[in-house]
Amino acid sequence: MRPERIEQLIHFYRDMLRIRYFEEKILNHMLPNRLFRGSSHLCIGQEAVSVGAVHAMEEEDYLFTTHRNHGHTLARGMDLEGAFAEIMGRTTGVCRGRGGSMHLADASLGILGANPVVGSNIPMATGAALALKMQGRKGIVVCFFGEGAMNTGACHEAFNMAALWDLPVVFVCENNKYAISVAEDISMSDHELQDRAVGYGMESYRLDGMNVLEVYDFCSATFGRTRRTSRPALLVFDTYRFVGHHTSDSERYRPKDEAIEVFREKDPIHFVEREFLEDCHVDPEQAVDIRIDIKQEVESAFERALEAPWPDPATLTQGLWAESEVTCGD
Amino acid sequence: MTDRGREVVFAQAIRTALREEMQRDESVILWGQDIGVYGGVYGATTGLQREFGEDRVRDAPISEMAIAGVAVGAALLGMRPVVEIMYADFLMHAADAIANQAAKWRFMSGGQFKVPAVFRSPAGGGSGYAAQHSQNIESWFCHIPGLKVVCPCMPRDARGLLKSAIRDDNPVVFLEHKSHYTYRGPMPKEEELLPLGKADVKREGTDVTLVSWSRNLLWALEAADKLREEGVSIEVIDPMTLFPLDLDTILESLAKTGRLVVSHEAHAFCGVGAEIIAQVVEGHMDLLKAAPKRVSAVACPLPYSEPLEKAALPDADDIAAAVRQVVR
Ligand SMILES: Cc1ncc(C[n+]2csc(CCOP(=O)(O)OP(=O)(O)O)c2C)c(N)n1
Repeated sequence: MRPERIEQLIHFYRDMLRIRYFEEKILNHMLPNRLFRGSSHLCIGQEAVSVGAVHAMEEEDYLFTTHRNHGHTLARGMDLEGAFAEIMGRTTGVCRGRGGSMHLADASLGILGANPVVGSNIPMATGAALALKMQGRKGIVVCFFGEGAMNTGACHEAFNMAALWDLPVVFVCENNKYAISVAEDISMSDHELQDRAVGYGMESYRLDGMNVLEVYDFCSATFGRTRRTSRPALLVFDTYRFVGHHTSDSERYRPKDEAIEVFREKDPIHFVEREFLEDCHVDPEQAVDIRIDIKQEVESAFERALEAPWPDPATLTQGLWAESEVTCGD
Repeated sequence: MTDRGREVVFAQAIRTALREEMQRDESVILWGQDIGVYGGVYGATTGLQREFGEDRVRDAPISEMAIAGVAVGAALLGMRPVVEIMYADFLMHAADAIANQAAKWRFMSGGQFKVPAVFRSPAGGGSGYAAQHSQNIESWFCHIPGLKVVCPCMPRDARGLLKSAIRDDNPVVFLEHKSHYTYRGPMPKEEELLPLGKADVKREGTDVTLVSWSRNLLWALEAADKLREEGVSIEVIDPMTLFPLDLDTILESLAKTGRLVVSHEAHAFCGVGAEIIAQVVEGHMDLLKAAPKRVSAVACPLPYSEPLEKAALPDADDIAAAVRQVVR
């Protein structure tokens, strides 16, 4: 492997670990200690898609994500402490404690929001792409969603409009095999999800979502093409979530060992570690140092977030309305 | 007097109603997201697919528009679908089928058709699910002529009302509270049907009439207990069905008390409390000794953070404070 490529892989490795450790903190520490409310949707197993795709984006691009958003938001550079604080409901959270785990957003990073209403981000991303085009700006919009979202009407209506109006949006479907408990067999009349774009005259591909380099390369090429041509595209990545749908999932819909087996075979982080050894000749000690370093980074962000103040109830309705003064007449 | 029966959780009361009606009538069929093997995200359908098979209990794709629309079509041909929309917030996706189609099909056809479908959905806040998974939108559906709207609180009532909703030949929106599925209460062993459109006096009293429903009723009862210690006697009424509304039971109570407080978890503006007070004031001002009061949420999307969500939602103290004002 070329040295720049190795550098890149190390960079991806760091980002994937950061997401993994962040979510392991939620699962193993915040959950038993009741440090968040409701439930949190983890992407453990899906980090290669987040990191590969988000790194293929340019600074001027925008992204929309879902309830399962930690991978996309952290890969885009969301502040770890701000993300932790948001999930804890603190006032220093990225959304000032208003949103929580399902709603991470950061305008300064082009993260237009996480939308847990399944499918509803797809037309919104399409609209953002329309704005970019009409404003003559050069960015594109990347819209992440799960395979379950492809059964919504919103998805199909938006696909048609994006293709009809030639909008610079790339739809990235992460097929993690389950929509909560519902596997494709039960919910999809046809499993060739990428083919659904064909009916709308939209380019589409299906790829392995466990190999971060492949994800990155393919996304770079696709995003570049959309950037040049203002034509939308659909990418379907096959991946898998190793943990429950959310932090209170019984997982009674899949065989007990299924996740363990897939993990053993396909964990995207182990994949990078194997690449290190086999193709990159990275010193195993270096990988250990990276892990220690990232773990430390996550821990200290967590500790700082834990110290953060709670929102003042008196501020409840702050931020509901935009300050707006409309001048009528003279 | 009926047997008080055993204590069950709210989810089990729903399950019992579904099960009994499915045993009784083959045309009762269910679909919704994750209601099969998973038993529904709140466990309301646990075991039903095993018992009744995949034909009658179907896992549906994430397609609320079609979940509800397919129910309307099946109902036209004599099935009795009971669909689950995972969160009431997503009734907004299903709203065309419910409000434009189910509610109007009979009327528009000059009474040729009927639409015996039930749309079940968990509503409400208090669990930190934030703005898009916590809304109380019962008043939206009450505003659509052609729909019945039910918001039970007690497990026994939920079972009896759901059974009636399933047998009713009109579309019914049946709202359950998502923080309430593990709430325990007595439920008789024998079958019991409760009429839609009939309120229940949950506690008798003489000084103030307090109307509340769904989970918020618990805070009303708590406030009533508190105020009894202060020497204020409160009559607590659960309308249970919001449309059609049983105004008579409220008026009978007001004839004794002359004072009215309505409390609900939804916020006040255009809420059902406004309608109840309007109906009382419009036609029965003579019964009132004091201006009625509403106790409800702050008009704000529900925030995630605990101290903020607490500040947004009404509680027993808020209700007690309002009652003290009307008896002053
Ligand atoms: C419109 C809507 N319907 C139902 C839900 C409940 N729900 C939350 S996540 C989910 C499954 C989503 O599956 P998928 O789109 O594949 O994404 P994943 O969770 O697997 O990442 C469902 C049904 C929802 N949030 N929004």
